[in-house]
Amino acid sequence: MTALSLLSTYVLPLWEVRLIAPQYPEGLGMHILLHTVVGIRPEDLGNINGLNHYIGMKAIEPDTIPALKLMPWGMAALVASGLGAAAWGRRGGARAWVVLFSLCAIAGLVDFWKWEYDYGHSLDTENASIVIPGMSYQPPLIGSKQLLNFTATSWPAPGGWIALAALALAVGVILDDARRRPTKLAPLAASLGVLVTFGCGTPAPRAIVAGADSCQHCRMTLVDPKFAAQVVTATGQQHLFDSIDCGLRWWLAQPEEARGELYLADFRVPATWVPAQEAVILVDGRVKTPMGRSVLAFSAGTPTAGLLREFGGQVVDFEQLQSDPVRHMSLTARHTH
Amino acid sequence: MLSGGFNGQLSIQGLPSGRVLKIIPVFSQFPENGWGYAEETKPMLQTTYGFVPWDDTHHPELSQTNGEVDGRWVFINANNTPRIARVDLATMETHEILEIPNTGGNHASPFITPNSEYVVGATRFSVPTPQQDIAIKSFADGAFKGMLTFVRANEPGRMDIAWQILVPGYNYDLAHAGKGPSDGWMFFTAYNSEQAYTKLEAGASKSDKDFIAAVHWKSFEACAKQGKGTTWDSEYRHNVYNEATHSATSNRKTGVRVITPAECPGSIFYLPTPKSPHGADVDPTGQYIVGGGKLATVIPVHSFEKMQRAIAAKAFEKEIDGIPVLKYDAVNFCEVQNPGLGPLHTEFDGKGNAYTSVFISSEIVKWTLPGCEVVDRQPTFYSIGHLMIPGGDSKKPFGKYVIALNKITKDRYLPTGPELTQSAQLYDISGDKMRLLADFPTIGEPHYAQALPASLIEERQVRFFKVAENTHPMVVRAEKDAGISRRGKTVHVKMIAIRSHFTPDNIEGVQAGDTVLFHVTNIEQDWDIPHGFAVMGAQNAELLVMPGQTRTLKWVVPEKTGVYPFYCTDFCSALHQEMQGYVRVSPRGSTIALSANTSAKTEAQIRKLAASNNRLSGAGSAQR
Repeated sequence: MTALSLLSTYVLPLWEVRLIAPQYPEGLGMHILLHTVVGIRPEDLGNINGLNHYIGMKAIEPDTIPALKLMPWGMAALVASGLGAAAWGRRGGARAWVVLFSLCAIAGLVDFWKWEYDYGHSLDTENASIVIPGMSYQPPLIGSKQLLNFTATSWPAPGGWIALAALALAVGVILDDARRRPTKLAPLAASLGVLVTFGCGTPAPRAIVAGADSCQHCRMTLVDPKFAAQVVTATGQQHLFDSIDCGLRWWLAQPEEARGELYLADFRVPATWVPAQEAVILVDGRVKTPMGRSVLAFSAGTPTAGLLREFGGQVVDFEQLQSDPVRHMSLTARHTH
Repeated sequence: MLSGGFNGQLSIQGLPSGRVLKIIPVFSQFPENGWGYAEETKPMLQTTYGFVPWDDTHHPELSQTNGEVDGRWVFINANNTPRIARVDLATMETHEILEIPNTGGNHASPFITPNSEYVVGATRFSVPTPQQDIAIKSFADGAFKGMLTFVRANEPGRMDIAWQILVPGYNYDLAHAGKGPSDGWMFFTAYNSEQAYTKLEAGASKSDKDFIAAVHWKSFEACAKQGKGTTWDSEYRHNVYNEATHSATSNRKTGVRVITPAECPGSIFYLPTPKSPHGADVDPTGQYIVGGGKLATVIPVHSFEKMQRAIAAKAFEKEIDGIPVLKYDAVNFCEVQNPGLGPLHTEFDGKGNAYTSVFISSEIVKWTLPGCEVVDRQPTFYSIGHLMIPGGDSKKPFGKYVIALNKITKDRYLPTGPELTQSAQLYDISGDKMRLLADFPTIGEPHYAQALPASLIEERQVRFFKVAENTHPMVVRAEKDAGISRRGKTVHVKMIAIRSHFTPDNIEGVQAGDTVLFHVTNIEQDWDIPHGFAVMGAQNAELLVMPGQTRTLKWVVPEKTGVYPFYCTDFCSALHQEMQGYVRVSPRGSTIALSANTSAKTEAQIRKLAASNNRLSGAGSAQR
């Protein structure tokens, strides 16, 4: 059954990459299938390639990607061996097949990651119109990432979910069986199960969709990510704020044990989330922020002399920001805008 | 969708905001996007008088199914050189223009029948029909005629004159089709029954009553099928835009069927109507015909049912050229009292209320039907002509707003020299009293308008044309296929535009006195990414090329030699300013070989190619 469900991957896409930018509110997207890469709408792939030529990325041409030629055969072998193991009817066969399946899944994801790495890093800087030193454009394997004006989100597509579910089911069956008859394979199977679920569980800050997200505190639409803050709670909820001011007020207003982690956007590289405890914070500088007092954040280790020259004001750390007397006075009242 | 009046265009404005979203060029050249300048669109403006670059658009009319607006097309008339155009609402481009022969001043047009079977045109300025060189004063002898034209409208690309009805030489002004019980009829107002031909302002205002002509078009349809009437060898033009080739063709046609009332008896009647009536508006139930008695002190309302009975009882006052004139009392349902000065047009909210625009006293008057009582009036700023309720002339009005279309705006906006903007005003009519919500300037004269909920057209909006389906003879579907060739003194450049370059972008070997045809294909397959094309010294306009489309600019090469830049005019991308190229113009007879770089070739290859070309034939051979 599990093996047969994998046949669906011949028609259903395994993975989905979506790109959203201010100019593309409806988004562009790609589906990765066993044998090819297609646009979510027919014209999307061409448009992604068109945009990528500005940063010197290679065009995505499915015919030239070797893995796409191998994968249909690999999947056929996996399905056949699964059916074989089922026909054989021995526990050992099933276990061996689950291990094989897991290895294939890992190999597939590793290969995908390497492919993404290659596209994101092998840039034709000679002929690219836009070259940002040190910048690469590797989309994430799972999750979201800001790549210049695009928020790239990558996620399993229906075929991928079916494959993952098939794997989880197979692992589950083995585990269930192992509980009754403990064997040496149990820890291995368990670790595989953990591996499958791992990708979904880590709470981390997410990318802002400017113009669509709104501030958890003041409810204003988030238009400029460079002033933003984000709180990720222990349960993985992500709350966005249009300013550090709003983020800090909200965070402080929560019961201490439920506060979670406060992240601040790096003013210069807004896609970077800096844990508030580590951030270099500049107050009362010349840059006007959406809310009240001017508070900007920068990645840990940002040289402060340059900041003071550029923006004025004074540099503080997170502790000082919280104990700031001016801040304290207004903290009690939820400000209005 | 507001007609632009004397600008010959159609503006798309949002409601309730009034924001201008687009101007659709119809009968007028539009340098902003090359309409009527690009080789592909020039044929749209061909007429039997030659190329006519301007007209006067008065009445947009949405297509209907079962008497309700359906969002497929909007038709619009050309008043000056009589024509009717069809604009496709999926692309918001003009797709078809039909010339109407044997008429002058196509004003009562293009009012539509409930299933878009026909749109009509009628003569506002009666002329000798067929045309002839005679003394103007022979109007008085009945040599001038009017013509009521029915145009087949429900098949895209196949609009045609279905038949014409030869009628007395009055001024036929406006029209509306019957619906429901009165489906099958079309009502035209006719003023100047005095048949004045000079100083009409007095001469055409003498009689107490003029007419509404009630035409049973279904009878005429049957008469035409039976071969009644005669075929005149009138010439007219039918211009069709083909979405696959992105090009228009202009076809000369001859022969129209002309039927006189006597040849199809019992199919047309005159309803006496006070005084110089303007609008002929049929309420959503199809039971009442409202005349806008421009100079009347009442609003006359005729009853369709009474009219039927009067016809059956032959309650005729007289007959004019085979057209029975019904007795006023036998058809009139009521006269709305105290409607203000100069009632023009009436639209309906579908809840038993009628709204009439009143020009001289500059107001909208709300009255009940069948009650015939004025219940509200609101001033407009100033001099309202038409008014419009979305769907307000159909069976199913969307009766939330009424829009006043004003001619004069003195003191409403900042002054702009002698010419001030005209305006539209938006009133909320959902309550008992009308409430002015907003006013906004319009493009040109907002003569009449039509509106419909966006949901009726949103889904079908075309985002871009598929370049793979583009069958323009000079299309370039991929960058590598771009190129250049020469035929005598004409140079064809097959060019692509994509963010952020043209290919080719360096062209040499063009000579003074040549004509270069730039065939630009925008190979983008993305929404909202047009590219423009302009070249220095061009004596026409720019091109604005939609994604997947091909457009051709004819450049008569200037006599001054040198290097001429061309560039993209539509801000397409971050590197829009880099989207440019050069044409080198050499003297006549120069030996510089014709060449154009395409992306597949390096500069060295181009040099090599040019050299071999030189060897082969000097200037003038075709190459890529």
